[in-house]
Amino acid sequence: MIFESMIYPGAFFVVFMSLLYSGILRKLSARMQHRIGPPIWQQFFDIIKLLHKEDIRPEQAKMGYTFWPFIAMISVLISCLLTPIGGTIPLGSSDTIILIYFLIFGSLALYLSGFSSSNPFAVVGAVRGVIQMIGYEFPFVVSIIVTLLATGSIFPADVNSYQTVHGWFAFSFPFAALAYFISVLAKIEVPPFHIPEAHQEIVSGYYTEYTGTRLAMIMLTHSLKLFALISIGIAFFFGGSTSILEFLIKSMILLFLISLSRVVMARFRIDHAMRFCWIFGFVAFIDLIRVCSFF
Amino acid sequence: MNEKKSQNRKETCKGYVLPIGPQHPMYVEAENLMLHLDGETIVDVEVNIGYMHRGIEELMQRRNYIQNLYLAERICGICSGVHTVTYCQCIENLMGIENIPERAKYIRTIILELERIHSHFLFLGVLAYELGLDTAFMYTWRDREYVMDILEMISGNRVNYSMPTFGGVKRDIPDSKIPEILKKLDYLESRAKYYAKVFHSDMLIRKRTTGKGKLSKNFAEKYSIVGPVARASGLKIDVRKDMPYLLYDELDWRIVTKRECDSHARIMVKVYEILESVRILKQCFRKVSKTEKNLKIKAPLRVEPNEALAVTEAPRGELLYYAISNGTDVPERIRVRTPTFANIVKSIPEILKGEQLGDLPVIIASMDPCFSCCDRITLLDVNTGEVKSLDGSELRRMGERK
Repeated sequence: MIFESMIYPGAFFVVFMSLLYSGILRKLSARMQHRIGPPIWQQFFDIIKLLHKEDIRPEQAKMGYTFWPFIAMISVLISCLLTPIGGTIPLGSSDTIILIYFLIFGSLALYLSGFSSSNPFAVVGAVRGVIQMIGYEFPFVVSIIVTLLATGSIFPADVNSYQTVHGWFAFSFPFAALAYFISVLAKIEVPPFHIPEAHQEIVSGYYTEYTGTRLAMIMLTHSLKLFALISIGIAFFFGGSTSILEFLIKSMILLFLISLSRVVMARFRIDHAMRFCWIFGFVAFIDLIRVCSFF
Repeated sequence: MNEKKSQNRKETCKGYVLPIGPQHPMYVEAENLMLHLDGETIVDVEVNIGYMHRGIEELMQRRNYIQNLYLAERICGICSGVHTVTYCQCIENLMGIENIPERAKYIRTIILELERIHSHFLFLGVLAYELGLDTAFMYTWRDREYVMDILEMISGNRVNYSMPTFGGVKRDIPDSKIPEILKKLDYLESRAKYYAKVFHSDMLIRKRTTGKGKLSKNFAEKYSIVGPVARASGLKIDVRKDMPYLLYDELDWRIVTKRECDSHARIMVKVYEILESVRILKQCFRKVSKTEKNLKIKAPLRVEPNEALAVTEAPRGELLYYAISNGTDVPERIRVRTPTFANIVKSIPEILKGEQLGDLPVIIASMDPCFSCCDRITLLDVNTGEVKSLDGSELRRMGERK
């Protein structure tokens, strides 16, 4: 049990794979952009380098500046460990609401870290992040509810195993899957949704003031979020995973799709992003109506 | 005075002040905009320029005309060609040189148009970057390498071409290189057509640029906006047509104008100008081999007391040089007026008022500002890894050698 939750497929494995996934994402988009790109281990180097850096705290920073990045990292890590990875859930079975709760709390903690650093760029970034959250949580939650209703259970493990028998939800509920994919792009803040950290406008957005260990935590949170959403995507829409190999192959396909949409789109403005997300929320509603009336 | 003004403004608007610059990822160069924001809406803007001041005009008064040739080249890293050509034209007017050899005219035109293509590709890349579309940024800058290659084939340099001199040009374009250059031009033309399609039809780009940063025709006239920005507002002005210099009145080309007055129009004007430049270049390359191989005529070292003016169309708009001589080999005064100064300083606050913060980088990039570029060179020896800086005399020696 301890081995399962801490080492494999637990915390250590999840952190390792999430950093590797971010590296692969960067490499893939670099190749698509006709660049060579950084090595896929780049995220590891960055994190290790940042851990050795001096920690600078601005004078105006509020109390939360110290701990929000850690809370964000831990809560997203927990949500990662609550998803089925290759058929097993590292922390044992718990319901989907807890999973979504930790994921949302992780994002919220990131934005709170921005607010607490008292930098005007960080505050604008955090405000944008919270506004965007109102946009993307709607399609995300609706699409997850569709799968839960279709399965008739609230446990991720059941949704995972249900698909091995009854086929992929991505095929039976294409609209919900599409809405889920859009909300993933918004949640991990890749183009066209990199509005909270749009560096042409607001430098680095909500983490402008952060350095050293805390910046490392924020970067790790981004990577973990990517991992969590890919893992949820596989478990809820892409046929689930029974073995770790299946999990890895499916996540590579998802990574490819994410990097593809990342390179072909420009950045939305915040109001456009809201409208876009909500449109996909209502698109997911089509499947919600279908699942309520037929299943 | 400035502080007082901003304090008053702070009291009147409920929002907050966001400093953009002097160091900010949006800019390549240093400049400061103080944005007064209400939420994400821009209420007021203060423009503070001068962070890149290098005192070049003062330096020019201490050097002789030939030394100033190299100084003028280094005013801007992107429009280095047009700065030298305009400087040469200005000093030629001062010296009373009326007709430079035909071949020199062709070579100067070629350099100017190649530079225009290079500058416009650079603009597209910067704009795509500000839009958050990194892919287009990478692609346009990759294609820009082809223009740089052509320039390197002609002049031996990628950025500071050092081609024109008083009374002509320094180097010839060998006829043997022309077929390869034309092949590269064909590639550039096809890429420019592709980008015209992309920037015209991409849903997100259109959404972010159409109707943003409106600059009406009246406004452009009132604030003396120049270059592609004015042409995107429906003004049909271009120094190449209005006051033809070099060979522009003999060549077949047209002024690109748009009536939409917004950021998108400014992008499209630049994309179509690339195609026009390719058209000019093809005509030039066809005719240059037929002219006789006479590169320059002799120019005097000292200049009698006189004053002269030269105006050209730089990639960003009208570029003006004004010089006064005093009978020695050192100019009394040289004044340079760059297009960015005309386009940005007064008009930016008016354009940005009421726009969203998210649109700010795109609007500013679509105005294509260029504040200056670096004025020093660091050489890295690849074999030994040794880094050394070059001083003026060494640079001049190298410039003459090539």
